Parts: sequence; structure tokens; C-alpha cells
Amino acid sequence: MTEDPIAPLLQLIAVQDRAAFRSIYSAASAKLMGVLLRILGNRAEAEDALQEVFTRVWLRADRFDAGKGRGMTWLIAMARNLAIDRLRARHDTVDDEDAMAAVADTTPRAETRLIAQGEARRINDCFATLEPDRADALRGAYLTGLSYIDLAARHGVPLNTMRTWLRRSLARLKECMES
Amino acid sequence: MTDTVLPDDDALAAEYVLGALDLAERSAVQSRLKTDAGFAALVEGWQNRLAGLNDDYDVAVAPNLLPQIEARLFPKPAKPARNWLGWLAGVAVAAAVAVVFVVPQTLPPAPLVATLAADPATGAASLIYEARYSDATLTITRTAGIAAPAGSVHQLWIIAPGAAPVSLGLLDAPVLTLAYPSAPPVGWTLAVSVEPKGGSTTGAPTGPVILAAEIKV
Repeated sequence: MTEDPIAPLLQLIAVQDRAAFRSIYSAASAKLMGVLLRILGNRAEAEDALQEVFTRVWLRADRFDAGKGRGMTWLIAMARNLAIDRLRARHDTVDDEDAMAAVADTTPRAETRLIAQGEARRINDCFATLEPDRADALRGAYLTGLSYIDLAARHGVPLNTMRTWLRRSLARLKECMES
Repeated sequence: MTDTVLPDDDALAAEYVLGALDLAERSAVQSRLKTDAGFAALVEGWQNRLAGLNDDYDVAVAPNLLPQIEARLFPKPAKPARNWLGWLAGVAVAAAVAVVFVVPQTLPPAPLVATLAADPATGAASLIYEARYSDATLTITRTAGIAAPAGSVHQLWIIAPGAAPVSLGLLDAPVLTLAYPSAPPVGWTLAVSVEPKGGSTTGAPTGPVILAAEIKV
């Protein structure tokens, strides 16, 4: 595993270290803002969510377990969960065009492939084994928070078909990553 | 390649991390995560497995929001009125996050069946409703926070597992008392949504669900 500069900060925050809290804001706010902006698609909402994410970081840092994953993974999971919850609360069951417009580009970015990080290379290799439209649907859900309803509309298939597609693709992805 | 199938729980964990579930499904997963360590481990597994996708998120310019965040978390005693509110908000957030069930020390009128404390995600950080039940009466009391903004109203819903929400009424006063023949079953969910004045006209929540809690005991 590569070094994890966020983990020790989280461990300090868990014991109420305010300096560590400032450091983690400097270290992670730009990445988390990127996550929130991509999912929420709106700067004012993303900024509001960013405050909430860091509030949760302070309050929940004691739940972080460096043995179970990287610090940045934990932070991004928290940001994604907050953003997706807000997205769903905003327009649950609404089949809207904005969601589709928001995913104009879900292909892997060029620099992503250059990042010498094993997990990224591995997941991209495994994505390459999936049918392209299903890989695209998986990325759309993960990166922009598209729901099954959004994805079914976008790909022109019934909801249950989309669910079956994605469940099978996830199973294959897991199998590939563990092989 | 053969079509491998994930066990149901693993598939649900994957769908949750992927972000494809709808609001009700996500809420159900989130309440399960609080009590089911095995399921939480499946979710962690998928968070790690899909973490490679995080490189696709660009960094974005983030304003320095630390002053606001710190003001919320670490209130100073300088400006009493304002900071008192900040402190209250902080306490409410802490209570919600830690899933602390606040039981008043004085005169508990009836057993507490659920505490609907604000989820920080909604921004309604200092709102708490308590649900109590005894003598065929369900009493919902707003113990913190304020009523819905003008032109809107908080509406109370009860949700049986796997079923659609059923309205119990409008929370337009600090206390709502309902005749309820038998105790609401453990595992059902009470939820509060924000609806237009007069309540939802569709029979289902139409506005954001700002509070939800499972019924205990």
C-alpha cells in the first residue's frame, strides 16, 4: 500500500487536535470540493456540503480505522455519501435531463492512467473487461451519483434490466480484481 | 466469462457504494450500517474496491470555509446569543452523528419510541422530534429547533419495512398527539418531510425527508 498522509491526521483529529483539522482541510478540501461539485453540479450547494463534510470529519474521525482503508478513501466516501443523499433528496424519482447532461464525459481521464497507483490501474484494467455501455453506467453512477432510474433512462432500458446489468458487472469486477 | 452472482448483501453493499440506490433504499442501508458490522464490512470492501475510480474526480478550487466550520464546531464565548445557537447546532450534530438518544432526566411522560434527530445532511442541524407512546397515544414533540419555514410544514410519516410511507399528520404545532391503538412496531420508521402548507397532496412525501428514525422498543 502506498503512503497514506491523511490517516495520521484523522487519528489526531480523533483526539480533538485542531491543528490536524486545519491541516486536513488544506490537504483534502480541493479534492473533496471536486467530488461534491461533480455530483451536485452546483457550486453553492457544493460549498455548503463541504462545510458539512468537514463537520462530520471532526465528529466522526474516531471511527476511521487505518487498517480498513486509506484516509482519503474514507474522506471521499463520506463526501460522496453526503452528496448523493442530497442529490436524491433534491430530485428523487425525477427523471431529469440535467443528470444526463452532467455526465457528458465519463471516460477515464488521460492522467488517470498515468497515476502510478496500483488500485487505479487495476480497476481500470478490470473495467476494460466489461461491456463498454455497462462500464459507462458503472462510472456514471459512481462518479456523478446517477441512480438506477437515471441510468435506465440514459441507456434506454427498463429499470430491472439496468439493475441486473450492474449487479452482474459488479460481480465480474470483483472477480477480476480478486484474481 | 461466466456470470457470477453476488450474494444479496454483497450486491446491496456494492449498489450503495456505487450510488445507484434511491433515497429510501439508501436510508435503509444507512440505518442497517449502524447495527450490522458484517454488512458494514461489505460496504468497506466495496469502498476500497472502487476507490481507484476516485482518481477521476478532479480537484476544484475550494474557498477557505474553515472559519465557518470552526465557528460551528468550536464556538467562542464572545458573542453569547449567536454562539449559543452554534453550540446548540453542534450538540445536535454530535447527537445525530453519534446516534445518541437523548432521554430527558425529568418527568418522562411516556416511553420514548424514537428520536428523530437532525441529519447534518439536511442542514436542519438543530431539529429534534421525540416520539413517545403510552396508553394508545403516540405523542410527537419538537424538543429542539423551529417549525418549517412560512409556506411549508413538517409532515410526519410512518413506514413499515418495504412499504410506502403513510402520513400520520402535520407537525404544525410543537406537540402532535395521535390516537394510536397499539404500539408502533419496532423496526418501523418514523420520518419527517417538508411539504407545502397544508401537507402533501399526493399521499406520499413530495418534499425532502429531513428526519428519519427507526422505532426502538
